[in-house]
Amino acid sequence: MKSEESVGPPVLKVENLAVAYKVRGGEVEAVQDVSFEIHRGQSLGIVGESGCGKSTVAWSIVNFLGANGYVKRGSIKFQGQELVGKTGEALRRLRGDQIAMVYQDPMQALNPSMRLGDQLREVLTVHRGLSKKEAERRCIEMLERVYMPDAAAVMKRYPHQISGGQQQRVVIAMALLNNPALVIMDEPTTALDVTVEAAVLDLVAELRRDFDTAIMFISHNLGVVARVCNHVGVMYAGEMVERARVGDLYANPQHPYTQGLMRCVPKLGSDKVSSILYPIRGRVPPPDNRPAGCIYGPRCDYAQDRCQHEHPALRPISGVGNWARCHFAEEIDAAAWTPPEEIPIPTIDQPQSDNQPIMQINELSKYYEVRGDSLRDVFGLSQPRYVKAVERVSFTVPKGKTLGIVGESGCGKSTLIKTIIGLEDSSSGEAQFMGFDITGAIQQRDTQLIRELQMVFQNPDSTMNPSYTVGQQIGRPMERFNTVPKNQIRSEVIKLLEAMRLGSNYYDRLPRQLSGGEKQRVGIARALASQPDLVLCDEPVSALDVSVQAAILNLLLEVQQQFGTTLIFIAHDLSVVRFFSDYVAVMYLGQMMEIGPAEAIYAPPYHPYTEALLSAVPIPDPKARQKRIRLEGAVPSAMNPPTGCRFNTRCPRRHLLPDPDICLTEPPWRDVGPDHQIFCHHTVETLSSFDPVIAETV
Amino acid sequence: MFVKDYMTRHPIMVAPEMRATEAQKIMSENKIRHLPVVGEGKRLVGLVTRQRLALKPDAMASLNVWEITRFLANMSVRQVMLAAKQVHTIGPDNTVERAARLMAEQKVSCLPVLDGDGVVVGILSEVDLLRAIQDMLGMTAEGVRVTMQMPDEKGQFARLATTLAEHGWGIMGIGSYPAPRRAGYYQIVVKIPQVTVEQVREVLSQIPGQEMVDIRTVV
Amino acid sequence: MAAATSSPRTEQLSRLQRWGKTVRIIFESRVATVGLMMVLFWFLLGFISLVWTPYRPNFSDFEQNLRPNSTNWLGTDHLGRDILSRLMAGTQVILLKTRLPGDFPILGGKAIPGGVALWGVFGSLTLGSVLGLNAGYRSGWWDQIIMQLLDALIAFPQIVLYLVVIAALGQGDLVVILAITVTGAPGVARLVRSLTLDIKTRDYIRAAETRGESVWFIMFREILPNIRGPLLVDSMLRVGYAIFAIGTLGFLGIGLPPPDPDWGNMVNDARRNIFFNQWAVIPPSLAIATLVIGLNLFADGLREEINRYQK
Repeated sequence: MKSEESVGPPVLKVENLAVAYKVRGGEVEAVQDVSFEIHRGQSLGIVGESGCGKSTVAWSIVNFLGANGYVKRGSIKFQGQELVGKTGEALRRLRGDQIAMVYQDPMQALNPSMRLGDQLREVLTVHRGLSKKEAERRCIEMLERVYMPDAAAVMKRYPHQISGGQQQRVVIAMALLNNPALVIMDEPTTALDVTVEAAVLDLVAELRRDFDTAIMFISHNLGVVARVCNHVGVMYAGEMVERARVGDLYANPQHPYTQGLMRCVPKLGSDKVSSILYPIRGRVPPPDNRPAGCIYGPRCDYAQDRCQHEHPALRPISGVGNWARCHFAEEIDAAAWTPPEEIPIPTIDQPQSDNQPIMQINELSKYYEVRGDSLRDVFGLSQPRYVKAVERVSFTVPKGKTLGIVGESGCGKSTLIKTIIGLEDSSSGEAQFMGFDITGAIQQRDTQLIRELQMVFQNPDSTMNPSYTVGQQIGRPMERFNTVPKNQIRSEVIKLLEAMRLGSNYYDRLPRQLSGGEKQRVGIARALASQPDLVLCDEPVSALDVSVQAAILNLLLEVQQQFGTTLIFIAHDLSVVRFFSDYVAVMYLGQMMEIGPAEAIYAPPYHPYTEALLSAVPIPDPKARQKRIRLEGAVPSAMNPPTGCRFNTRCPRRHLLPDPDICLTEPPWRDVGPDHQIFCHHTVETLSSFDPVIAETV
Repeated sequence: MFVKDYMTRHPIMVAPEMRATEAQKIMSENKIRHLPVVGEGKRLVGLVTRQRLALKPDAMASLNVWEITRFLANMSVRQVMLAAKQVHTIGPDNTVERAARLMAEQKVSCLPVLDGDGVVVGILSEVDLLRAIQDMLGMTAEGVRVTMQMPDEKGQFARLATTLAEHGWGIMGIGSYPAPRRAGYYQIVVKIPQVTVEQVREVLSQIPGQEMVDIRTVV
Repeated sequence: MAAATSSPRTEQLSRLQRWGKTVRIIFESRVATVGLMMVLFWFLLGFISLVWTPYRPNFSDFEQNLRPNSTNWLGTDHLGRDILSRLMAGTQVILLKTRLPGDFPILGGKAIPGGVALWGVFGSLTLGSVLGLNAGYRSGWWDQIIMQLLDALIAFPQIVLYLVVIAALGQGDLVVILAITVTGAPGVARLVRSLTLDIKTRDYIRAAETRGESVWFIMFREILPNIRGPLLVDSMLRVGYAIFAIGTLGFLGIGLPPPDPDWGNMVNDARRNIFFNQWAVIPPSLAIATLVIGLNLFADGLREEINRYQK
């Protein structure tokens, strides 16, 4: 009934905020000149890459800046009252009753040793002095409000007894119990799986409407923000560079940085042949060495003389609703943008027709034995129990192609590649790589075989040994496998570094001197150093910022072109997998649900699980119409998986079958297209009749 | 039409220890006329209105200029507020008309909205009631607004409704009240979307026993 | 990325500069600076004593049991030896040299650089690291057996352990080193094990495993270099404990063999004569206390600074 554009005083008004941290030898301004306001019932998304100061803004509001941080300039007005400079009791009460915060990790907010009910009730009994019974009633009401199944029973559980998505729901319920005017959410869904994330985001949007709460939503993910926010601020290197309504921002970004970000993310449904990702060149300036003029100037494709010495202000751009911190926003036409020459763009040849398989996996399984701690278990008398992490998975990988594996956490994709590379031995099944048997662990493998299979890891901060230089780490595989004569190692390493677009001056650097993207490049170089035929990539870009992610993906594509390497690529981001892979396999609870050419996976017919995954992907376009399928319940335990089709307990399409009980039996593999198979009881006709998940954007 | 749907949620609230001058500043900066005063757990302890902040001449007749300044500067919200037991309040599940009646009878311009245990969940002011009237009469979109006068008898409204239904017209807003200065009659205002004044006039003027008082296109 | 190469942050630091940076970290912390000064003071005194002491430390040149006076600044002991000279010489055996027994191959009867305390700590570091790395990295049965053994060792009272070692092997510098090694190793092993358990989850260990590297390579080349920071700090503390242990052994009369002075023996001797000469007991006790406190302060300050530096 109320209009979107709420009138009246803003709940939160931040003006010219600057936050500084005292560090060794001076101080660093983490946030400079940030202004925004949030009204009742509005949600403001703050997006930016890591280190842009978005969390610092949130912490300054709740005064969590730590011992060495302080608000240097500016004002933070909450409900008309200035927070900066206030201390003590008044401030505590003002915040305690009216501001709530939701963090990325729900376990930070929940006490692991207390029942959830006690923790929830405490909010009401301690602060409000409600009776225990009344508090209990309200807590259950609130849990039901956040769609917690079986709320009364949940009150009696401990935090570890519910899933991560449910934990986050409890935290949100707890935040809302006090009916706060402002809720700050700091990456609340980043740690969650995509289907859980979708459900939590739905909840956030709904609660904002019903409770008229102002929400400050911090995220690095443009898609997530598009789904829940009605205003967005883009931050870069401590400044807000653009602010607009969500529709305006995505349809018509005004700041060159925002435009650059949009070009970095693969759209769901685009692939490497038809579209190109353009990383932003250069890197974010460190906070103690920011350029004098426009902060984005050194990386901007439109920079002119004026940008070098005159700092632009955040100003409304005429003709559109956006505010941007750019001198030339009116003159820049994003559509006419052409990539600057120094950005390397991989060229993708049309796939060769030769589909000779390099790896064949047949009915491969990996079980882990679980030991109980009863006396019978200790003496080995009881029946051994198994976690069926990977169950009868079959696929082949053609030479020179990329197989993407997607699935949520716990689906067994990591175990699968660990088994392939030999960090674990397999329990049953066959696996062949170039004619060698690879079912055993790495100790049983021949050195030459080990050399052919290498891996790129997820976390850039732990992928390199901090004690050795870049050169030593890349040189080690060459030394070990004798691929290169000893005296030529250095020159070979430098050659590889140059192929990774790192100069030879990186040879003697230590990992701590590198940025995340550079570390990941070195990780790729190390994997390639032994000239392997197949490289397994375990979420190689998921820990990187989007602009760096684009560069790494491009690099991998280039490497594949240059060395003809076959890749197995694991990721949870479906857009990235679609963009990057030739073939895609979808896994759920240790089983493969669907496998086929990438373009076929993303259009009907698809497996009901694939359909649910696709409908949950956050799309960085607020106008995109996405089918809304949300999975019920949590992923069952792998120790005791459902019989038959493992997805049967949550399948949203099960009721369409004439006899839903058929799902308790093993489904058949159905051929639905060339190389495209679906593991489902539904007939091909039924599967084909589903609507596409994403309608064409209007 | 319930209070919870029309109240302003999360109103600006102040603590009783705050200086009155600061409260005054908050009110003028944010253009609001009422400030609920809350204690621990957002429980209502009082209400500050603009009038309460106005100077009372008798209170300082005996003070000189300097003393007045000091007197004002040191005054806390607690000293100027209307204490909670004198404040009229309402619950979120009450009806809007109930709130309107309370406000009219007590001649107050706002009602703090309290939940079961005295926690302020919102505030309902005159402006919010005016908004309710707008919504009720369909002020949000364009249409033909017609006022019919009819005797206070059973079946009169049904006649009007049937006529509208026969022509496939919808009603986007409706209000009914005793006709002013005409005992035994009622007036009914209806707002009909997607029709012209002429169509409506032709149809509704044919209803026997009813009189069309007014017709106009409004937004 | 071409633009990034000129970024000042990643400029190459020479080895010297890196050292300079490390030293600066020490002086950033007042606690570490004070500690370092106290330790250096004793080292300096020890070095001086190698070439010069006020009087001959092992000769009864003076009257017995003198109070501090202008000739003997700290007085004399029950045999009429100058306490200051003995105190200075006592530093040597703790920090600067280890006397090898006569039947030791090649170097028999000579002294090697590095005091008993330092060698003892080095010994416990080596033994503890090997055990801790194996327990932490291999886990399973290795872990069970190694840790159970070490727990049993810890459960044994240390003094009894010293007595057992010395009773079995006789007195001598090497035996004291062995005693310190054996008693120190379990603590080091626990620390190394816990650090290893953390490090072994890192991706670079996974990378080494996928290269098919041997277990020993992973333990000593991949893991060990990354735990040296905490290990270094811990070893500082351990030098303190070792000095204490030498003092204790000396006090029990089973420490470093006479006549060369060591602080523990000095305290022990002075204690026996405490009714005739109250002064003699103070200097060696204070010496032990200041050196141990100095090392502790240094280690604490260093740990704090390193932690802060990492954040």
